[in-house]
Amino acid sequence: MSEFDDLKKKIELTKNKYKSSLPQNNNNIIGMAFRIGIELVAAIFVATFIGYYLDKWLGTKPIFIIILFIVGVAAGIFNVVRSAKMINKG
Amino acid sequence: MATNPMHQFEVHRIGPSLSISGVDVSFTNSSLFMLISSILIITFFMIGTRKVNIVPDKIQLLNEIVFNFITKMISDTAGPKAKPYFPFILTIFLFILTLNMIGLLPYAFTVTSQIIITFFLAVVIFIGVTIVGFAKNGIGFLKIFAPSGVPIFLFPIIVAIEIISFLSRPISLSVRLFANMLAGHTMLKVFGGFVVSLGIVGGWLPLSFSVALTALEILVAFLQAYVFAVLSCIYLNDALNMHH
Repeated sequence: MSEFDDLKKKIELTKNKYKSSLPQNNNNIIGMAFRIGIELVAAIFVATFIGYYLDKWLGTKPIFIIILFIVGVAAGIFNVVRSAKMINKG
Repeated sequence: MATNPMHQFEVHRIGPSLSISGVDVSFTNSSLFMLISSILIITFFMIGTRKVNIVPDKIQLLNEIVFNFITKMISDTAGPKAKPYFPFILTIFLFILTLNMIGLLPYAFTVTSQIIITFFLAVVIFIGVTIVGFAKNGIGFLKIFAPSGVPIFLFPIIVAIEIISFLSRPISLSVRLFANMLAGHTMLKVFGGFVVSLGIVGGWLPLSFSVALTALEILVAFLQAYVFAVLSCIYLNDALNMHH
């Protein structure tokens, strides 16, 4: 019977542990979820901005803006994947 | 004018117009609310630490909760090396939180709905983190742009991507806070306008929406301050603990 009691205690303990850690964890996840959308847009925006001014400076009208736009999309996706990994880690 | 949902975001001068060498530095409603929130934070801590008991009273307990919350956040995200930056993170978090929360009060001005304010905060963090990174790692901080184990023909692309993603940090940090506050407050005002225009008969539905939205806005106000602080910690972590 004492084994049963021990198990009961263990379950109680684990339950309490989860109860106290759950809201904090939840909070973190919602917070991280807010990141993702803007992360993608920001990278594309910054890259295109740099491309536009490089073109203006060097007089190579469409080349840098196209290259940097593509790099920006890649960087944005990179950022999103990185944030998603962070959420998975907890 | 009062029904225009964007009217609440207008910055206007309070008192005399001042200018230093052509730059307008007059006191505005934005400055007023920043001042109010700073004073609130200072009084909160002054009262809380006035006489420190082993068994804390209510205000002291609140102080301790805030302290523990930030300490835990920093040690979770940036590790023990980030401990010296505790005052900075605490200040950033409390400042944004108070500004967001004060903005929810009727007739109050939401300072964080101005992109220039959030962008300035983000740029300060960005430059600060870059300086910390170079100070702690020297020129080795540039390794942040060059992850190990990349094939040589992919190297230039990866470096370009990493640089862009590094430079996009202040934009994403500031736009997130700004957009959330702006959108939330505009929504509140629009639904508030519906209540007035639909009157006593049809106004109940938007009123209930308004109540629900206010609750959501309180959550968003807290979360955005939290996200801002957590991301500063994550960036600090990149600068302090270089592992790739």
